[in-house]
Amino acid sequence: MSEAGKQQDNEFAIQTRGLLKQFASVRAINNLSIALPREGITSIVGPNGSGKSTLINLLSGTLPIDEGLVIIEGMSLRAILPYDSPNHGITRTFQEVRLFDQMTVLDNLLVILTKREVFGSLFEPPRASYRNRARQLLDSVGLWDKRQDMAANLSYGQRKLLEVSRALAMDVQIYLFDEPFAGLFPAMLERVKGLLEGLRRERKTIIFIEHNMDLIRQLSDYTFVLDSGELLAEGEVQEVLAKPEVIEAYLGT
Amino acid sequence: MKILNADKRLPALPRSIIGHPLVSIVVAGVIIYLALLLGQSADQFLQFSINGIVIGAIYAIVAMGFNIVYGTVWFFDLSYGAMATMGAYSVFYFTGRQIQTVGRGEINNLYLDIFMGILIAGVVAWVLYVWIYPELRSRINRITLLAVGALVALATGAYTGLILAHPADLNVFLSPTIGLLVATASGCVLYLGALSGIGSGRGLILFLVLGLPGALALGGYSGWLVADTLSTRLYLSWFMGAILAGASGLAIYRGVYFYLRRQARSPLVMLVGSLGFLLSITAFIAIIFSPDGRPLAQPFGTVPWSLAGAFIKPFQVLIIGIAFAIFGGLYLLLNKTSFGTAVRAIGDDEEVARIVGINTPVVIAVIFFLGATIAGLGGILLGEDIGIRPQMGLLLLLKGWIASVVGGIGNIYGALLGGFVLGMVENYGVWYIPAQWKDAVAFVLLIFFLSFWPRGLLPRR
Amino acid sequence: MLEKPVAESPWWRSLSNPRLLGTRLSSNVELLINFIVVVATIVFILSQGSGFGIRIAQLFAIFAILAVSLNLVIGYTGLLSLAHVAFFGVGAYSVAILTTDAAYEQVPGHIPHFGLSFFTALFVGMAITGVVALFVGGVLSRFRDDIFVLVSVGFAVISHRIFLFWQPVTRGPFGIHAIAKPEVGGMVIDSRLEFLFLTLAFLVIVFLISWLIVRSSFGRVLMAIREDEQAIEVFGYKARYFKLTIWVISAMMAALAGGITASEQTFIDPQSFVLLESILLVTIVILGGLGTLWGSLLGALVFVLLNEGMRFVPFLPGELIGQARLAILGIVIVLLMLFRPQGLVGRFKL
Repeated sequence: MSEAGKQQDNEFAIQTRGLLKQFASVRAINNLSIALPREGITSIVGPNGSGKSTLINLLSGTLPIDEGLVIIEGMSLRAILPYDSPNHGITRTFQEVRLFDQMTVLDNLLVILTKREVFGSLFEPPRASYRNRARQLLDSVGLWDKRQDMAANLSYGQRKLLEVSRALAMDVQIYLFDEPFAGLFPAMLERVKGLLEGLRRERKTIIFIEHNMDLIRQLSDYTFVLDSGELLAEGEVQEVLAKPEVIEAYLGT
Repeated sequence: MKILNADKRLPALPRSIIGHPLVSIVVAGVIIYLALLLGQSADQFLQFSINGIVIGAIYAIVAMGFNIVYGTVWFFDLSYGAMATMGAYSVFYFTGRQIQTVGRGEINNLYLDIFMGILIAGVVAWVLYVWIYPELRSRINRITLLAVGALVALATGAYTGLILAHPADLNVFLSPTIGLLVATASGCVLYLGALSGIGSGRGLILFLVLGLPGALALGGYSGWLVADTLSTRLYLSWFMGAILAGASGLAIYRGVYFYLRRQARSPLVMLVGSLGFLLSITAFIAIIFSPDGRPLAQPFGTVPWSLAGAFIKPFQVLIIGIAFAIFGGLYLLLNKTSFGTAVRAIGDDEEVARIVGINTPVVIAVIFFLGATIAGLGGILLGEDIGIRPQMGLLLLLKGWIASVVGGIGNIYGALLGGFVLGMVENYGVWYIPAQWKDAVAFVLLIFFLSFWPRGLLPRR
Repeated sequence: MLEKPVAESPWWRSLSNPRLLGTRLSSNVELLINFIVVVATIVFILSQGSGFGIRIAQLFAIFAILAVSLNLVIGYTGLLSLAHVAFFGVGAYSVAILTTDAAYEQVPGHIPHFGLSFFTALFVGMAITGVVALFVGGVLSRFRDDIFVLVSVGFAVISHRIFLFWQPVTRGPFGIHAIAKPEVGGMVIDSRLEFLFLTLAFLVIVFLISWLIVRSSFGRVLMAIREDEQAIEVFGYKARYFKLTIWVISAMMAALAGGITASEQTFIDPQSFVLLESILLVTIVILGGLGTLWGSLLGALVFVLLNEGMRFVPFLPGELIGQARLAILGIVIVLLMLFRPQGLVGRFKL
């Protein structure tokens, strides 16, 4: 990847300084300082329980930060409130798909597109622009025909696709995808891959968690390997995956 | 969707609240307030403390029963309040003739007898089916086994119906059971004693020669004693009330909650379902026994003792004793037996418990039986103390819930402590204002605790 | 705008074609339920005469306002509130106290009177309720699920105790008598029929406002909060403010119902505002269907039918009617939770 050299000079999208998150006696994220490059696709890999999801939860404000600092676009933050994360240009998907189950597919997207203010949304008439945007997004994942179905009635793969398109609807700079490919059939997998690559073409920052090495090799420009809440290795995909300690972490546990 | 532990539903605890200056200020305020009260009138202070401890004991009983259920299945079972009312009204039913103020005289309702008989028969049948049947299945012909079980269940149901049909002769009809229970219990003790004392061979012979007749004689004598003494009726009715409430609790679990829990998305489904039970059971009780409040037959010890300017009834001392006895019993059950381990495992994670091989429906059923029995007892004691009303269950249940929130939800230590704290706060809180505000004080305490100290005084784990 | 699937033409179209109506009714349970309830009501009212009909309709209108407003909170936002009766009571007491000018005193001591007109008092009462609801909602917004229920029960109980024991203002258990009737353009609305029209007008307003709220982007966010509060927050919504807003709106609607009731009955006492009333309201909302406004109307209708129909059960003594109603409602709720958790015509399962 030719961008790799450039990333060193460029600003970083997100940096963490001494990030720490503790659950009972377990340190899920232990004093983690990393710098996630701007633009392109970055993957985070690591064995189960290595703190990947926790990291995303911390960056998106889903979990409160215990200690440490997150620097997003040059802004230092000691705490990220969940509803502030879009203001920092961050959106995400969840590992266990969290759709609004008893709402229609269309409403699942429209709710993301409408105004954020209480009274703004109260007095907002239904707008054609929202509907068109929702149609565009649903078309891109092939769910427009299902728009009147309850989200709970979709198949697993369709739910996953809907969640990805919900993140796309946010139209921000930084996208955090928590295992977007897990459990998908090849056809749907290709679709999600296409969406991610589309985002890369729009020069967005994409960060995703994945276990499948082939996908990581194909997609990511840069890779971080976490183990026990600490950084094990980082760098370009091929280099990193060839490192002995990374292989050991994966095979040894 | 799995129903989460209450821990995960509670609001996040502000970090290190113990060291927070606000806590010290509140504690100091409470101490100053109490000192102020003590300075005003030591006699009254003592009286309020006694009242607080007595009512606190009842709250603690209810809260403990509530907490073992809540801490296991993690949904708020409102029908629990109806069980408390049921217990109290069973006592009224069996002792009704002793009361002068009863409007309807003796209540004897055929439909009720039949219904309760069927309910008990069902419960016994299910217990036999899940407990005895798997043990004997491989040894004895299944058809025979099922037929015998059905017969036993039917007989128990018919017996219950018979007892209910003759509330005035409770002691006569219950005496064989009491005799049998005493005989079995003493027989067991003697058998184990003989075996461990003398050795298995001769011990068995000695037991057969001396112990067995002795146990039978003891059982027969106690049965006769019960049948012959009218005053035992009241206490037998406590026993019956608690058992009936417990059996109803089990029946509700196995009949409805078991299925409801499988399809419930959130604890609210269970809550609303149990709300339905609370509504209809309370209403049926009001229909059968009239909606008005009334006193229960007075137990022993209604003449108060004077204690340094304050008064306490011996019966109230008994209430406190019962609270601690229940606590002790539950402590041993939950911490010293394999059943207790299973209960705690289910409370932590039911899925995992099931995978590990714990028979979760049975354990939960037992928990529901225990909880409802304790609720029945709590209702009975409250009824004996201040009288009964069909609606008493809801408020008693809410108090039990508040007590467990104050103490720490999901464990019996918290329930015991929370009950007494709630009782005291209610009583000290209404020093300057009319006593009717007690309930409001209790809920203010609840809101305070949930807002600032959501895990309670003694959190689970 | 939401699109309807092509097959679902409006149900009233089928009224003109009996055969179509037949097939539609047999294929659509919800429509069948609607149909049965409405027909039963009409038959029932016709058989009992107009005075009775007006009384039933009045009761229905009040319960409908309460149920629709409560559905906004329970069905759309997912907050199982048992505190609704508190706002109903605050509204009723505000109107009662603010309109009283005749010194009708049963308890000694000074009782303030303000002598406002009904409509002024109604609006002031709604404003007061809004402020109270803002406070209560602020406390409640920290809690979820059953803890939320418990705390809302706490507010219901506390409000009842205040109505009952704050004698200098509420006259305690004696209640407040001779509450003023509304006046429109110099004409006092006095007869039952006139009052019914007033109440129905308010019901229509409340229903329309609720409908607009539910259809707006705001309503969609509320549903998302109901489904997954944490997820919707990640997308930039401050769920807490949304919940507070709908809570206050719903409380003010309840206060409206309270004010109308106070004036219609000309007498209120604390016994009308006990926790049980809240429980009844919740059962009405769940019975009708969570997350549908029509369902709340239907639930209120079924409840009123049940309530009044009980009087005609032959072997039931008069004083037990209320209890029998509760017994039936309780059983119905258990059965609903088991077999039809979305209520009679609802979409949302609790």
